[in-house]
Amino acid sequence: MENNANCAQLLRNVSEACFYATDLKLYLDTHPDDIRALEMHREACRQLKACKEAFENCCYPLQSCCAGDDGEWDWLMGCWPSERLV
Amino acid sequence: MFIFEKRTQFPVKINNKNPKLASYILSQYGGPDGELGASLRYLSQRFAQTDKRGIALLTDIGTEELGHLEMIGSIVTQLTKGEGAKSFDRYGVGDYYVDHANGVYPASAAGVPWSAATIQSKADPIADIMEDMAAEQKARATYDNILRMCDDPDVSNVIKFLRAREVVHFQRFGELLNILQSKIK
Repeated sequence: MENNANCAQLLRNVSEACFYATDLKLYLDTHPDDIRALEMHREACRQLKACKEAFENCCYPLQSCCAGDDGEWDWLMGCWPSERLV
Repeated sequence: MFIFEKRTQFPVKINNKNPKLASYILSQYGGPDGELGASLRYLSQRFAQTDKRGIALLTDIGTEELGHLEMIGSIVTQLTKGEGAKSFDRYGVGDYYVDHANGVYPASAAGVPWSAATIQSKADPIADIMEDMAAEQKARATYDNILRMCDDPDVSNVIKFLRAREVVHFQRFGELLNILQSKIK
């Protein structure tokens, strides 16, 4: 796992990308015919996927299906929601 | 279904301890206008929605509220981590400590346990969405009250984020209400 400061930054990138995608999703629920928002949402989801991969490659798995790749149960690692990211 | 992701929607990183502030903020965990009630209200009401836009919006906002519940629990935990009985007592929240110690329990700031009597599910899309808009405003007002009593920027920054989300949800529910009403006309 990389240093905590770098992981904090990578996690912030995930949060920002996810926030953008989430907000567009809610907008699209009530504006499903807005083609421009649809394209923005597609790009936001691409960005989010890239941010998550960058984080998980350097830090720890965010979802359990990404855990255990290196023969150890690293799902236990990292900062759970109750814990403070250093 | 739901898939857990090991992160909060907005980073929660609180440096100082304050059991009293934690007991106020706990109201947004299990109080009458808190995130538990919000998520259960929307995730229950969605079963009776008939318009796809309504089903989607209630599902998506209800899911986001579950994430907010997690953030509130995280704030309360970090504000009380390592604090003992004496500290809780000094901060004037010894009564909470007696029943729950450092645990996060769904109750209001006054200690009333969470109740499903604070939410409704009427199978009437207009009645439900009207309630949801009021619920978002009540949650927003509660966050305003918390901000008036909070002088820790680590905490206020998270509360301001949550407050802003209530405003967005109110806006989206308002759009849905217009959609449903125009279908009736």
